[in-house]
Amino acid sequence: MRAAQHGDALALDQLLDELAPYVRRLCARIAPAVADDATQEALLAVFQGLPSLQAPEALVTWVRAVTVRTAMRLARRADREVAAADPAAESHASSLEGLVDIGDALARLPLPQRVVLILRAREGLSEQEIAATLGISAGTVKSRLYRARAAFREVWDS
Amino acid sequence: MNHQLEQAGIDPVDRLAVLAAALPGAAVRQRRIAAPYDAVWPMIADLEHFAPRYEPGVARMHVTERHGERLHLLVGYTDGREEPMEARLRAGWCLMQSATVVVAFAARPLGGQTLLAHLEHLRTGVPAPEPTRSRHRRAAHAKIDQELDTIERLATHDRG
Repeated sequence: MRAAQHGDALALDQLLDELAPYVRRLCARIAPAVADDATQEALLAVFQGLPSLQAPEALVTWVRAVTVRTAMRLARRADREVAAADPAAESHASSLEGLVDIGDALARLPLPQRVVLILRAREGLSEQEIAATLGISAGTVKSRLYRARAAFREVWDS
Repeated sequence: MNHQLEQAGIDPVDRLAVLAAALPGAAVRQRRIAAPYDAVWPMIADLEHFAPRYEPGVARMHVTERHGERLHLLVGYTDGREEPMEARLRAGWCLMQSATVVVAFAARPLGGQTLLAHLEHLRTGVPAPEPTRSRHRRAAHAKIDQELDTIERLATHDRG
């Protein structure tokens, strides 16, 4: 890690092997429609910031925060583009028609709720870790999780 | 995406951009080469034979050890100096590093042609201040463009 921070390209290459699958998995879960773009943007941001990372022992926490925020930004942008191109698409997406699996049910939740649920249920993070990742309070995480679970159950049980 | 070329889920050309992001001052250029990937990549990967042909400062390059993707090289420069390098070489990806420089190539098929990206980076520590940095970047881009010209010529006209 220190070698990578000091511009050892082979160490950076190795680090990329280690981080890329995690970054890709998070992006695919949070922003499935734009997962490739989100993965590349997140990796660019991570590697650009790497030399100035003050606490290398916090690498995974930092990579997670950069990735989740990047994926959320691209997911919001993709949602806006879809809504602008076809205003009917958004209402169709939020209907229950055609719901086939958990991924579909998750995709129908508002992005902030979807992300906390993904980080809690699929990534196994604690509420404190989610709060640190998103830069919000633990109380906000708790209330978003509560609303997300309720909304998910409503969608899933319908 | 070409999954055969991907390492850890990243296309090699995208991977090169990520690597460059962590190397302040690195120069990267890419070009669509009018020759198929299967003609271009074996040429890049044949370091001993082809590196001295497209890299003006290199007189010879020897692979001294090979362990799978990992290589140890000895580079002889035209000014008589010699320098050991370490490298990682696999389909679509070649990363070489010495104490002073980083050189990398990444390629993927693009239709019947090849998208080839080339990075060069001087490991000098602190990047130079402006306007020196811009002048260095322009010179590095010109050098890379010249090397890509040579590679394109070798790949499309006079291989061998």
